[in-house]
Order: sequence, then C-alpha cells, then structure tokens
Amino acid sequence: MDFTLSGESKMMVKAARDFAEQEIEPTVATVEKEDALPDDLLQKFAKARMLGMMVPKEYGGIGSTTVNVVLILEELAKTGSAAAFLMAFCNSVAETIYHWGSEDLRKRFLPPLCDGTNYPAMAFTEPGTGSDPTAITTTATPDGDHYVLNGTKRFVTHGHKKGYGVFYAKDETERITAFMVDKGSEGYTWSKPWALMGLAGQGLVDVFLKDVRAPKEDILGEKGKGFYILLRWIAGERVQQMAFMVGMGQACLDESLRYAKERMVRGRALTAMQGFQWMLADLHASIEACRWWTYRVAAKQDEGGDIEVDSAALKLFVVPTIQEVARKALQIHGSYGYCRDYKIERLYRTIAHAGVTAGSTEIQKTIVGSALARSKGI
Amino acid sequence: MDMVVCIKQVPETTDIGWDPQTGSLIREGVPGILNPNDKNALEAALDLREKHGGLITALSMGPPQAEEALREALSMGIDRGILLSDSLFAGADTLSTSYTLGLALEKIARFDLILCGKESSDGMTAQVGPQLAELLNLPQLTCAIEITVNRSAVKIKQKLEDGFRILETCLPALITVEREINRPRIPAMDSIIEAYRDKKVQVWAGADIGCHTEHLGLKGSPTRSRKVYRKKVKRGEVTILEGEPDEAAKELIQILKQKGLL
Repeated sequence: MDFTLSGESKMMVKAARDFAEQEIEPTVATVEKEDALPDDLLQKFAKARMLGMMVPKEYGGIGSTTVNVVLILEELAKTGSAAAFLMAFCNSVAETIYHWGSEDLRKRFLPPLCDGTNYPAMAFTEPGTGSDPTAITTTATPDGDHYVLNGTKRFVTHGHKKGYGVFYAKDETERITAFMVDKGSEGYTWSKPWALMGLAGQGLVDVFLKDVRAPKEDILGEKGKGFYILLRWIAGERVQQMAFMVGMGQACLDESLRYAKERMVRGRALTAMQGFQWMLADLHASIEACRWWTYRVAAKQDEGGDIEVDSAALKLFVVPTIQEVARKALQIHGSYGYCRDYKIERLYRTIAHAGVTAGSTEIQKTIVGSALARSKGI
Repeated sequence: MDMVVCIKQVPETTDIGWDPQTGSLIREGVPGILNPNDKNALEAALDLREKHGGLITALSMGPPQAEEALREALSMGIDRGILLSDSLFAGADTLSTSYTLGLALEKIARFDLILCGKESSDGMTAQVGPQLAELLNLPQLTCAIEITVNRSAVKIKQKLEDGFRILETCLPALITVEREINRPRIPAMDSIIEAYRDKKVQVWAGADIGCHTEHLGLKGSPTRSRKVYRKKVKRGEVTILEGEPDEAAKELIQILKQKGLL
C-alpha cells in the first residue's frame, strides 16, 4: 500500500492550483452575479488538456487516470466555483462514451469533447422521476434508420450549450436505451437555467424533445441497456463529486484558519483559544478522512474495479462530513460567515448541493444497504 | 536557435532559518519550487523557439531534489534538462555557482543564447547572470522586458529605474529577464506526463565538467556572511485620523511626508 503521490501527480496538482488561481478565482464574482461561466473557460480547460483526461490519446485525450482527475479537481474545487464541476463533467461523460461507445462513436464524439469544441450533457432525470428507471416517460420510436425521441428531461447540465448529449429514453421494447443527441437538432428546445442556491453558472436546464431524430448508429452501448450505462457513469460521477467536496472542505478550513489567525478577541487570536483549536482540529481530521477514502475509490476505478457500492458508501460518508465542516467553518467566522463578502458563505451554499444531486444521500444508503443484504459469506 | 536557460530551485516559503555558522539558508525539510523569475526566462525561451525554432536546455545546479525544478521546466515544454549535482558544489556563492554553470555551458558548447531570470527569490543578488556572461566572455543584456532576435543579432528593451533603453548585440549572448517580460504558461497535463515519462534529465557531477575543486562550493566561494539576523519589526501605535475624508487624507499625506515615506 503506497500513499505517496508520484512526481507527475504532484506537478499536475501544482498546475491545477495555478490554473485555479489565474483562470477561475478572478471570474468568481462575475459568475456569481451573472450565473454563467465565462464562454472561454471550456477552451482554457482544453488548452490545459484537462478535458477527456481518461480518454486515450488516439481519441483526443491524454490517457491519464481517475486519481489524477480527482487530484486536479480537488484543487479547482477550492475556488468553490462551478468551473471545477465543468471540468469533472467533461471528463466523466467522455470516459463513459469511451467505455461504451463503438469505434465509430468514439472517433466522432470524443475529439470535440476533449478539445473543448462541444459541451457534454447527460439527461436521465425527468419531472416525474429522479432515480426510478421504470418511471421514465421519454420515448424513442424507430423510424427507418433513425429513432424519434419525445419527452422532457429535467436538470440537464449544459443542455443548452453546443454539442451532443447522452439522452435516455424508453425504446419500442419499453427498455431504456442511451442515445447520442445533437443539442442543435430540430425539435430540441430548452428552458432558462434553474436558479440554484449555490453553484452559480452550473447551467441546469429542462430540455424538451419534440420529434428529435437520432440515427440508430448513435445508440451508446447496447440497445435496451441504457440504465447500466447510467449506473456506471453516476458511480464515477459520485467519486468526482466527492473530490469536489473535499476541495471545498479544504477551502473551508483554509478560510477558517486565515480568519482565526487574524481575528483578535481580548488581545488574543482565535487560534490561541482551545475551543477554536478543537474546531479546527475536527475540520482537519474530517477532511483528511474524506480525502483519502476518495483517493482509494478513485484508485479502485483505475484498477478496473466495480465502484458502484464503494462510491455510494463514500458519498454517504463525505457529504454529511463536509457539510458539517462547512457549518463549523461558518461558525468560526461568526456573523461574518453569513455575509456575502466572505468566501465561506458561498462555500456553505455550494456544499449543500451534494446531498441532493447525482443521487441523494438516502439513495446511497439504499445502494449500500441492499448490497450488504445481498452479500454472502456471513 | 539553440538556447540554455539557467534555473534554480528555491525554498517555497519565506519563513526559513539560517545556519549561524555559514550564513546559508537551511534548506533541509523545506519544500522547493522553481524560482518564479526563472519561469519568465523559460517562457521567453519558449516564445523565441516558437518564432525561430531550436533546442532549449534547462540547466540547474543543486541537490538531487532540484530535479523537480527541471521537471517543471520540461513540463512547460523545454526539451531537455541537465542537473549539476555533487557534494563538491555545496555552499557555493554566486561566483562559484557561475563558475560551475560556466563549465557546464562550455561542455554543452552548442548554444546561441543563454537566458536567466534576473534574480532568485532567496538570494536576490542578481549576480549569477552577469558573472556567467563575464566568465564565458559573452555580451550581456540585463533586465529585459522585451526580446527580439533578428538573424545573428538580439535586441532587448531594458528596464531602468526611471525609464527604458534599447540594447542590441550579436549572438551568442546572455540575457537576464524581469518578471514583467511575460506571463509564464501553466504546464498542460499532457506536457507533464511527457516531462516525467519521456524526457530526460541528465545529472552531471564535478568530474563530468572537468572542474578545479578549489573553485567549487564553499571552498571556492569568497563571499562570507559575517552576520545573519532577522529584521525586527516595530509595531507602532495606531493613529486614527478623524474628520472629513479630504482633510484626513491631507493629514495622512503630511504625516507620511514627515516620516520621509513620501
């Protein structure tokens, strides 16, 4: 068991930190105000070769690892900006297309994702369902060499931006199939982005599909097996989401420590007081536990292991832990923590997202609990 | 156009200790980074390579861990790295460092331009570049904020305290650069992979560059630190200037003038 990061990984972390400081931090205030990420951000990520990192070179990626993506993401996440999530999302969707896609799909859809020409999308959730595949109402009806899709998809990240998305629909056999859908297709429209509590610029829209045509050769993976694609993608997405949480948790601690060292009460800095020291110690220990478990599950993904239960258990632990970190960090800041001028306020709002997106914490309990109930040997 | 960029690994933090005997920085246990000003020299070289082609070598002297600074240079896109590492080099002042780098450059032999950061963030002497040029008998152009190469001539815009001047010389030459000459690139992730997996860092010891040991390290360093001390920071009392902002500002200017700060 080796817990040492390679020189290559350490250099990636450093480069990601510099990228966050130079390209993301200066945009945060504007993103908060306008609720939109800068238009050139995707190209900057592409230039830094941070998109499609797990995709082999021949398809436009760089053939790196989940662990490296997680390490980079953790650094970007310290900004608390949805920009970090954009990088994570591009990587997870690209990896999914690589894993399930035919040679033709890989060649057509991966290079524009890796070079920042296209924004990805992943559309499963609908107004009537979040996690239950049987409740999906979007349909895909065969018509010659195409399928015709009809329905509404909810909370589609970057559903309104140029590119292709993976859309899940019930085919003529009532089974779920994943289709690559051109977001510029005729009949493809979207709502204005949902106004979120945090994650400004995330760009979640509802997408309306009215007789949208998708070629039959653009089915991702096997026909009727779309739900497995979703489950595998969301397991990887959970790991990245937790790296995002770890980075933001660390930012909470960094902000708290900075504040506590400067804030004087009766001639003493907060850090000189045992009560605050104990709170800071709790934050540190909590973040370290989340960090190393996240790395562990990422490493298992790189080893080719099934991480569906591991990532669910990880999320089950990390989400409430980092949410508590944010709460304590805000508490350390006192009334200032409730002010928009302080970063902790934004981190607190952003950290709240993870318990209810990409599968609620309760769903993770169901995944882990049912896996334990099915387990043999005891 | 082949170039050599001299770089240095420096301590990451400014809060480091000093050896009371030698006056040297205590580097053990302190994480090292690539000297920020050297990144500007690397970026300048990469920019010139894009216009004129050629091979760029990054050259550094330091302990084995200084290889990390060279790997960072390679990650930025530099072609190869050479690390001068030998216990004989330890404790070198700027003259001994210049001598050692000079020998390595004579061994490299093929270069049109040597680029250095103006100064390191730890020593801040700004001596190595000029000394190196003197030892190699090369023309030196210092404090560059712009570089233009035209066939066998190189021109710089030099930053002075109260203005600028344009200087020109023939190649080969040595240039030191200011921080504002450019904004160093952030290494792309695929370049980092390449730097660690495909590119080489050669390590040269004293014997590889054929040096005289009396010129090396502490022995070859005429500089002696007589005393090392931390500057005492006096914390004065806080004065709050009351009244209208305009009047308070005038009073502030007056106070600063009295203290000789304006």
